[in-house]
Amino acid sequence: MAGTQHSAAEENKRHKHEGPKKHIIAFIFSILLTIIAFAMVAAGEINTTFIYVMLVVMALIQVFVQMGFWMHMKDRGHVFPIVGILGGVFVVFTIVIMAEYWAWW
Amino acid sequence: MAHGHKVKRYSGLKDWLTTVDHKKIGILYLLSGGFFFLVGGLEALLIRIQLWKPLNDFVAAHTFNELLTMHGTTMIFLAAMPMIFALMNAIVPLQIGARDVAFPFVNAIGFWTFFAGGVLLNVSWFAGGAPDAGWTAYAPLSTATYSSTHGLDYYVIGLQIAGIGTLVGGINFLATIINMRAPGMSFMRMPMFTWTAFITSALILFAFPALTVGLVAMMFDRVFSANFFEPTNGGNAVLWEHIFWIFGHPEVYILILPAFGVISEVISTFSRKRLFGYSSMVFATVLIGFLGFMVWAHHMFTTGLGPVANALFSIATMLIAVPTGIKIFNWLFTMWGGSIRFTTANLFAVGFVPTFVMGGVTGVMLAAAPADFQYHDSYFVVAHFHYVIVGGLILGLFSGLFYWWPKMFGRMLNETLGKIFFWLFFIGFHLTFFVQHFLGLMGMPRRVWTYLDGLGFNNLNLISTIGAMTMGLGTIVFLINIVVTSAKPRNASNDPWEDGRTLEWTIPSPAPEYNFAQTPLVRGYDAFWKEKMEGKTEMVPAEPLGPIHMPSPSSLPLFMSIGLFIAGLGFMYAKGDYGTGAWAWILHHHIVAIFGLAITLTCMFLRSVFDDHGFHIETDEILRDKGVKA
Amino acid sequence: MSGHAHVDGKLPHEPEKATLEGRNKVLGFWLFLGGETVLFGTLFSAFLALRHQVGDGNPTANELFELPTVALATFILLTSSLTSVFAIQSMHTNKVKSMLWWLVITVIFGLAFLGLEIYEFNNYVHEGHKFSTSAFSSSFYTLVGFHGAHVLFGVLWISILIAQVLKKGLNVVTAPKIYVAGMYWHFIDVVWVFIFTVVYLMGKVG
Repeated sequence: MAGTQHSAAEENKRHKHEGPKKHIIAFIFSILLTIIAFAMVAAGEINTTFIYVMLVVMALIQVFVQMGFWMHMKDRGHVFPIVGILGGVFVVFTIVIMAEYWAWW
Repeated sequence: MAHGHKVKRYSGLKDWLTTVDHKKIGILYLLSGGFFFLVGGLEALLIRIQLWKPLNDFVAAHTFNELLTMHGTTMIFLAAMPMIFALMNAIVPLQIGARDVAFPFVNAIGFWTFFAGGVLLNVSWFAGGAPDAGWTAYAPLSTATYSSTHGLDYYVIGLQIAGIGTLVGGINFLATIINMRAPGMSFMRMPMFTWTAFITSALILFAFPALTVGLVAMMFDRVFSANFFEPTNGGNAVLWEHIFWIFGHPEVYILILPAFGVISEVISTFSRKRLFGYSSMVFATVLIGFLGFMVWAHHMFTTGLGPVANALFSIATMLIAVPTGIKIFNWLFTMWGGSIRFTTANLFAVGFVPTFVMGGVTGVMLAAAPADFQYHDSYFVVAHFHYVIVGGLILGLFSGLFYWWPKMFGRMLNETLGKIFFWLFFIGFHLTFFVQHFLGLMGMPRRVWTYLDGLGFNNLNLISTIGAMTMGLGTIVFLINIVVTSAKPRNASNDPWEDGRTLEWTIPSPAPEYNFAQTPLVRGYDAFWKEKMEGKTEMVPAEPLGPIHMPSPSSLPLFMSIGLFIAGLGFMYAKGDYGTGAWAWILHHHIVAIFGLAITLTCMFLRSVFDDHGFHIETDEILRDKGVKA
Repeated sequence: MSGHAHVDGKLPHEPEKATLEGRNKVLGFWLFLGGETVLFGTLFSAFLALRHQVGDGNPTANELFELPTVALATFILLTSSLTSVFAIQSMHTNKVKSMLWWLVITVIFGLAFLGLEIYEFNNYVHEGHKFSTSAFSSSFYTLVGFHGAHVLFGVLWISILIAQVLKKGLNVVTAPKIYVAGMYWHFIDVVWVFIFTVVYLMGKVG
């Protein structure tokens, strides 16, 4: 137990109080992506496959930004959180493939 | 840091109901898992008695369906899983030099919810019929249309509750192994059993939520008239197969990996040699865990997924033979040139190796999709998975129980009785299941109530039944062994096998409440063996002697699981014709279910609001413990 | 390591990681979120597999969904995620009062989201889109409902935490709880991003 104590102290030194600025930027970015997504669908008249791909890509970017900044996954000391989430994502990936390709035949 | 909090320590039954000590929870897991193992074994014997001769009518066809369903479900979820958790609880914290697990309270929740789920599942026997759609509960057989009794309700709800317990248990061990290792215990110095416990916990984390969703969907279908698996309303029965096996195949590796860990420890100890190819062993474990998620559809080759899917899953499945083969050779090379001692634990471990290879080989046979069309749904499959589960996991578990029994209970199991048990069980096992390969190849389908005379099945089935009886006899010898042992004095030394290599053998048997009086400093793989080789008899401490903080016992986990139990009953009996009385109103409006959930949520609320300050074990008490042992 | 080490003195910069208990809690919760990922992923795939199984005469996704309501719910939940970030930032600078206010705002946003969802579900039911109508409706309500239940749980949880901080103050025992609740809230928001994309927008496209 004692061995892990020093890492917390290091953590303290490394990043001093971070301001709200980058969180607000992440928020504006998320809002923009959301507006674009809704606008694309509301406008209609574009090739549906293109819309599908764009929607998914924008959702992924938004989630990436939010998890990186708001959930601090980009910070140091987040190896196991990343492994935990990526493990889940990998399994979800296989399940989604299943649902799309193999549930109906 | 020593605060004067009131020391809350119970004794007797109250102690066991409120304990958060991982060693006691391990024993609770062992007791209840052992009980369910006997129940499942009894069901297996009834199945074998029914099949010992053609056209037998020992049990009714419907009862037979219930028996085979409950045998599978009980053995997997209520016997094998808890016994794995028993060993993990009893040993993993000791092997990494930790005082406790990361979440002692959550650990207790894990046990009690598993127990509540297990009891709920078995209540079905006394409440109008057990589930009868096989342990896989394939739709539409398990939908309300074809299964109108409450049997399947017990299955979906009981397993959900037990699943919560398993999931939080898995998270607890992941966090424990990541955060609580002693100084110097790097990942690549962890004992193999801890490694397999780690990977198994990760598989639990990623596989069980899928099962939960499947069970919730089926529960909604049955209880709230949803249409997930109901083809008449657009549902998809194959979706259940997929979801079940996306959980189900990793589950198989959840079961077998800890056995691999046990075997690695036992073979290394009793060969007096370092485990051969430790890092390749770790690599193989991780790889098996990873590949385990990409092979589920090999259970569904005959469903009709098409040649592309079948080919993909066929190849992925065969790939798993590679890391498994690495492990087999590593065990053989560990024994090679070692001074081997054939204790009961080692007999089980050595017996495991060829038995598991046989199960693996039939696994590769089944992985070939075109051939699987022949084997599918026949006794060949039954033989295969009993070779990997009984011949793999159960032999591994017994090996581990004999090996760690002194560390759990402070007494050595009787070796003579142990060896009799091994030979009866081992021979009985091969008698039972070896012939089933041929029964399957001859065309006997699995899950049949009986068979006709003159098909050539008679003799092999008789042999199989005799084998099952022999296994039962062996188990009785094991029970006698436990009783005989418990009457003897508690005199096991710290390192009763004298060749212990890992940290659990540096502390008294059974381990004191705080495990390590002083956290040890780990200087290499096989930490204790390394010290022994330098002529020392104990570990170098990493900290001075001081008061040790312990978590308080709590009755909340017990009540939480009771709440879930009540809620489960409430949900399944909400539908139905109860007339117009008050009781009918209560059931139809889910009052019982809400009441049960309210109990659980109240317990969570209490846990959140009232801080657990725990208590301290003072230095003089630790010194007193040490004095008694020395 | 009993969690009392810093109660009397000044709180460290990241109080949630000051004790082993706190670090365990944060790590354990991350792992739990990994499991939640699979839980929602499986719900999503069940929905994906069944979303076209509408049945004869029942409203389709395109006819059903009202984008303005969904957009409003989305902005509410996104904003609540930002306010919970501010709460954690206030916690890190030891401004207990502003932390509590941000948490209160987060809870209010959460309640607003829930209100919208109830209103929306109510509309759907009136249009003949009941839980047992079709495979599409069952999987829709289960997926979105599971998310809604998570929001409800989060609202209750954060409310209890606000009360706890008012009573006990911010210390190394309460700080990890707040941090973890914040993570939970972000996760709910992340799941919603996929829900509005996959369920609503893709459903509207057809």
